[in-house]
Amino acid sequence: MTGATARHTPGPGSAARHTPGPGSAARHTPGPGSAARHTPGPGSAAHLTHQGLIYGTDEEFLSATVPFCLDGLEQDDAVLAVTTAANIGLLRGALGGTAEQVEFVDADDWYRAPGRTLGAYHRYVDRHTADGAHARVRVIGEPVWHGRDRLETAEWTRYEAAINVAFADCPAWIVCPYDTRALPADVVAGARHTHPELVAGPAAHPSDHYTPPDTGRRSWERRLAPVTVDGREAVLDFAADLSEVRAFVAETAGALGLSGERAGHLVFAANEVATNAVRHGGGHGRISLRRAGRRIVCDVANPARGGVEWYTGYLPPGRTRGRGHGLWTVRQLCDLVEIDTDAGVTTVRLHLDL
Amino acid sequence: MADMTTRADRERLVEEADQGDHLCLAFADDAEQRRVATAYVLGGLERGERVMYFADGRAPEQVLGWLREAGADPAPALERGQLVVTTADDSYLAVGPFDPDAMVATLHQEVADSLAAGYTGFRVSGEMGWALRDVPGADRLGEYETKVNEVFAGGPASAICQYDARRFDADALAAFDGRHPGAVAPEPLYSSGLLRLAPSFRAGRRALRVVGDVDYQSAAALATALETAMGWPGDITVDMSGLDFIDLAGVRALVQTAERLPEGRRMHIVELTPMLRHVMHVVGWDRVPALTVNAGEGAE
Repeated sequence: MTGATARHTPGPGSAARHTPGPGSAARHTPGPGSAARHTPGPGSAAHLTHQGLIYGTDEEFLSATVPFCLDGLEQDDAVLAVTTAANIGLLRGALGGTAEQVEFVDADDWYRAPGRTLGAYHRYVDRHTADGAHARVRVIGEPVWHGRDRLETAEWTRYEAAINVAFADCPAWIVCPYDTRALPADVVAGARHTHPELVAGPAAHPSDHYTPPDTGRRSWERRLAPVTVDGREAVLDFAADLSEVRAFVAETAGALGLSGERAGHLVFAANEVATNAVRHGGGHGRISLRRAGRRIVCDVANPARGGVEWYTGYLPPGRTRGRGHGLWTVRQLCDLVEIDTDAGVTTVRLHLDL
Repeated sequence: MADMTTRADRERLVEEADQGDHLCLAFADDAEQRRVATAYVLGGLERGERVMYFADGRAPEQVLGWLREAGADPAPALERGQLVVTTADDSYLAVGPFDPDAMVATLHQEVADSLAAGYTGFRVSGEMGWALRDVPGADRLGEYETKVNEVFAGGPASAICQYDARRFDADALAAFDGRHPGAVAPEPLYSSGLLRLAPSFRAGRRALRVVGDVDYQSAAALATALETAMGWPGDITVDMSGLDFIDLAGVRALVQTAERLPEGRRMHIVELTPMLRHVMHVVGWDRVPALTVNAGEGAE
């Protein structure tokens, strides 16, 4: 296990966290460990390590994930494995008695909506590291790709890209397995773009195709996907009085077949986006709702005031920070969110599954 | 104990207090007591009712001063006997231990006398602070508050019993409150077409009641009302049972107030919908140390 010796020495990041004082400031200082990122395994626990594991056999899966788990347990990291039922069985078998110390979650239960999954990972990291219980968390996170349409596949790929910015300062080491036996070639190709490093066995190397979220961001931006409208589209122009928007969304969503609870989520989300429109986007906007296949699709459009980063709403909000909660919450409540600025109009598109 | 879920339905504005009412006023500041007492007395005189006021710990002259400063001259009503302002010590406590049955009988008589004298009805208000002193029979006040309902229910008479929430123990106050069929609605701190923010009482404790919609246009009003609530003693309870909608800006106002509370004080948000508890969870606001959020009863 190359690099194991180095990893037994607590990195400067983790040492700083135990020093009384502003721990968060200390976490933001890059330690020498992060500079030495090209050695297999991260030296600093205070930064994200996000690796793709492209495997074609059970042996390839286990040869990377087993040492990852064992090494983590040895270093007292919290270890979470979110993967297929079959892989959970394989991993449990290979880990034997130590499997009890690993938390296993079925990927089908975990990867339901990109915003919510990212939020769940964020809470997991926070829960295990905030009070100093663990210096770092290790995650095996195998996204679900079956049953996804083109829009969902594209957004889950962007979710993988967003991980790099959302968890940049988190003491998390995430390995994302991609099974070449089951996945389409474009999904596997996506993994090479979204992961700074790729793993083979216990070793890691930089991905030649890695596309960072902030450089060359054109490659992560995307126009709204076309939707097929079933039936009538309901439209409302709004200005300062958002009680009209809330009443419109509640009534229309109900008529389109959304359940009471989900309609409540949509009302809340649409109100937040409309609030942004009237406060920061020209003071007025247009909201439209329609049914498109198995989804309710709600657009909130307003005159654009500057660009919006493609990963807006994927960054976990600071607990007490004044702003930045709006689109985060919207992504937690909706199943899919698209944001696009085109021809002077910013559109936030909310998808809720029926 | 009153059924707290119907708390709001019991409340009525003092201006709308009417014959048949037996209302509890739990107040936490002098201005509020004065406002309600003044409006109730003057309202009765205007309706041609006979009015009795039992002060406690203050001279009757002070109550008459409230009426004058409200623009009314109480002298003619005092002269013809339509208005009587006295103290508990000088009236029903002067004759011996407090006796609920005797007091109920006296009030029946006052109602009958008022009608006989040509008044349209009878209304009475009393400051109940004497019950906290070492007065013989004070322990029977609860019994009285229940028995006296027969005087007012369906009759041509009404009453407002005044309890100072700063002096009465919260549990005792909740018990007294529960013996009244109704309560006086506190004056709202804010009121618009969409939102009303009013002081209230839950389980004998001061609460801020949020009724209607809070959005970006009214979040500042909520923040201001919470600022007022920070001046109340003890923990802050925010009663969301009448909430129709609150956006993130409104929830943020709650969280920011909770974070500013001094050591040892907490904010309790009660009867928040599961959807909004979920929102607070996903934003991480459920982990603010000074804040508790729950679905059911008030401060624990």
